[in-house]
Amino acid sequence: MKTSASAKQPAPVSRDAARTAASFDMLYRDHVDQMYRFATRLCGEAEAAKDLVQETFLNAYRGYGTFRGDAQVSTWLYAIAARACSRMRRKRKGAPDRELSLEEFIPTSEGEFRLQIPVDGLSPEEALQNKELRQALDRAIAKLPKKYRMVLVLRDMEGLSAKEVGSVVGLNERAVKSRLHRARLFVRRELSAQGIAASTPSHNGQPLMQGGH
Amino acid sequence: MAKRTTTRSARQKPSVRPHRHGKGRCVSILKKLSAYIDDELPGSLCEELRKHLGACPNCEEFVASLRQTVALCQHQPAPALSQAERARMRNDILRAARPR
Repeated sequence: MKTSASAKQPAPVSRDAARTAASFDMLYRDHVDQMYRFATRLCGEAEAAKDLVQETFLNAYRGYGTFRGDAQVSTWLYAIAARACSRMRRKRKGAPDRELSLEEFIPTSEGEFRLQIPVDGLSPEEALQNKELRQALDRAIAKLPKKYRMVLVLRDMEGLSAKEVGSVVGLNERAVKSRLHRARLFVRRELSAQGIAASTPSHNGQPLMQGGH
Repeated sequence: MAKRTTTRSARQKPSVRPHRHGKGRCVSILKKLSAYIDDELPGSLCEELRKHLGACPNCEEFVASLRQTVALCQHQPAPALSQAERARMRNDILRAARPR
């Protein structure tokens, strides 16, 4: 039985409580950055993301005893965060979720087939030095109906497999892929419609951004 | 993935060829594009689509732009928490978790 961890906690009420707190500290230390990144991508702004992270870890703390270890810890946390996110959104009465149909993504004019943004000949990292492009991408993702945003963020930004995304959001793999495809088409269309100049200065001296992967 | 046969300068100019698919054909192609760029299409379908893309500059542009979109999403940077924020949030969570 470990007892040293209990000394770091402010007056634990029991040995079990100390053990839970020590496990929590490890869980928090290893996953808080990942959950904050996920929350920021879902919520789009820092304060809402912090609320979501706190809610996620609070629920994880309370439910740690129910974690059976048959999934990765991170997948378990993503699922808690996803549920917390829909509860918080319901309270805030966001825009109603709409279905995206494939037909709406068929280009209707010549200019819609390609992105009107400066990416040709650049790696994605180089293209994303352009602050205007980063902001346009954030806006496009923020405009996605939330169930599509959730799948796109988990699969294309957090890097989960389609199967893992399915276990987080409670869908089969086929449904995940269908939703992901529509989400990608939506973001593509938004970026194609925005038209961004190539000469926008990069970072503007702001050091706050870090690589997501 | 499909090897593109068009030159860079040809790709940079907006295509002047009209897109002549019927709507049904367009949807059928459109439906497969994520599976195509994720390398998840069965061989025969992949080959069929690749042939079509080679012959249809507009569709080829479209696939390239979808691939670029996914790559941008995969590399979009995310902000990080400061040490102070991390510590403050940990304390807030533990305070909320403890029974009074």
